[in-house]
Amino acid sequence: MLSDSLVNGFTAGSVYALVGVGMTIIFGVLRAINFAHGEYYMLGSFAAWWGIETVDMPYIVSIPVAVAVVSVIALAVGLLVMKRLIDRPFQIGVIATLGVSLVLQNVVILVFGGSYKMFDGGWIDPVEIGDTFVSEQRIIIVLACLLVFAGLELAVRKTRFGKTMRAVSQNLEACRIVGVDVPRVVLGTFVLGCALAAFSGVLTAPVIVSLYGSMGTSITVKTFAIIVMGGVGNVSGTLLAGWLLGLVESFVAGYLGLQFRDGVAFAALILVLTFLPQGLFSRRERF
Amino acid sequence: MPSAPESTAPVLESFISVDRQIGLRAAGFAGLVAALLLAPVAVGEYGLHALIVSMTFLLPALGLNLILGYAGMLSFAQMAFFGVGSYVSALLALRWGTPFWLNLLAAAVAAGIVAVPLGVPALRLRRYSFVMCTLGFAVIAQAVAKNWVSVTRGDLGLSGVPRPRLALWSGGWEVTGILSYYYLALAVAVLAVALFLLLVTSPAGRYLVAIREDETLAASVGAPTWVYRMIAFVLSAAFAGAGGSFYVHYFTVISPTIFDPFYGNTLLVIVLGGGLGTVGGVVAGSFVFVALSELLRVSPDVRMIAYGLLLVVIVFTCPEGFLPLLLRRAKRRKAAVEAPAHVL
Repeated sequence: MLSDSLVNGFTAGSVYALVGVGMTIIFGVLRAINFAHGEYYMLGSFAAWWGIETVDMPYIVSIPVAVAVVSVIALAVGLLVMKRLIDRPFQIGVIATLGVSLVLQNVVILVFGGSYKMFDGGWIDPVEIGDTFVSEQRIIIVLACLLVFAGLELAVRKTRFGKTMRAVSQNLEACRIVGVDVPRVVLGTFVLGCALAAFSGVLTAPVIVSLYGSMGTSITVKTFAIIVMGGVGNVSGTLLAGWLLGLVESFVAGYLGLQFRDGVAFAALILVLTFLPQGLFSRRERF
Repeated sequence: MPSAPESTAPVLESFISVDRQIGLRAAGFAGLVAALLLAPVAVGEYGLHALIVSMTFLLPALGLNLILGYAGMLSFAQMAFFGVGSYVSALLALRWGTPFWLNLLAAAVAAGIVAVPLGVPALRLRRYSFVMCTLGFAVIAQAVAKNWVSVTRGDLGLSGVPRPRLALWSGGWEVTGILSYYYLALAVAVLAVALFLLLVTSPAGRYLVAIREDETLAASVGAPTWVYRMIAFVLSAAFAGAGGSFYVHYFTVISPTIFDPFYGNTLLVIVLGGGLGTVGGVVAGSFVFVALSELLRVSPDVRMIAYGLLLVVIVFTCPEGFLPLLLRRAKRRKAAVEAPAHVL
């Protein structure tokens, strides 16, 4: 029971963290919360499912294909919508991304139908660790999450693009003065964030098995709790917040009852916003 | 009646959208009401149904207009209050067979009361944090409705909710036919719009606009900003609660799906598309965006795609809403200052 809760918590937490880190870097450069973020997660798992069902793609191939498909969609959305959000009041961002979310979600429902889709893929054989059995896929999720975060942390600190990304989140005006191509940075960050969400969606699909068109909504709202807890633009804070939420949810589901699980994120959101608006791990940026 | 010190009156006055066309607007509303009174002659039973549904959505939309258009706070909690109102009203009618006026009032009051403890943490927050916090209420409200099985019957929901009974207490006349229900809806809608107009033209309404425009300035001239924001939050909840009561006695069933984003998004389209911070725009918006899609029998997913595209188009091209845009085009005059386009 205890080890099950731990394993489930870390897996779910890693998925949340992967989705959340995309949202937090997008928020960083755009100062807009992306209401459609969970939809890219949903699109990722749907793209992989579609590849596996129609052309009998192996799961390992479906991962890059899904990420690529979603990146193209994100690029289109970025060019049409997100680029226009630079320097606009926050309500515009909320409503425009909400509109994007409605379109993406309902186009998927219209095209593939509203019923549950069974995801047939991934490595679900159990592995014995100590006295519990853990499916391979769960181990892969946690490892992939760690790799992505290590890579991101490195990219944000060392690469040129990562540095411009941080610069744009810190001071838009100064970036413009020194000649940073702000729309390009915003677009690149947005596509990267959405690709991470899609990656997370493909990774988690074999574990959750049943996919449906509106599955992104609950992820979007949980992501809010994570970015608020982790602190805006704080990459490693997002990972810790994701794991924390995953673990608390898993223990609440295990010991109090499954029906209380989805309330955890919002209780956390409201408490953190009220008492620690700068997030759990940072002393600087306020939300 | 709260009053600011005299010297500050001109400062506040300059923020108030002074309505110079009261006569014209009154005529417009009178014309609309007359048209709606005669509508049953022209439209069939399904048309009446569409009109009733749009008038049901008008109430929470007015609430959203108050909090977003007048107080400048984007709240996703409207549908949560709508749901609270509908559950309260349904439970009262099912358990004690209370008359309609009491259900309606109780639904509004209950939603308003629920809003107070929610407003205490939420109104301390600004911008995104407020948006996310209010979205949290909607999710929690749905979770409560799903899991408080002894009262709400969980996912099954409540069914067989009585039709509205017009009586002082017992006996009276039960509104069952669609035609009589239509006139009841019209009466409630007219009453709601009248109340709303009274509210936003009162000093409290002007304070709200002043706070929306510049909270620090409003506070510096003595407007108790937190109190007024709380009042707006509670009243918007009360409007939504009353709408919920009206909804549940028409459809006679209620389940946790009422908290789904579908309804909340519909409200946003009505208010933003119709014209934020205007009354006529929101009235027109609820007829155009709800009645039209009901009449065309658009399936929910296609409707949501259309709503999504509309939201994107609205915020980028005409943030003041379609009706004010049309009016402006029609009158060929310069940008009106009445619509608070910059709230968006």
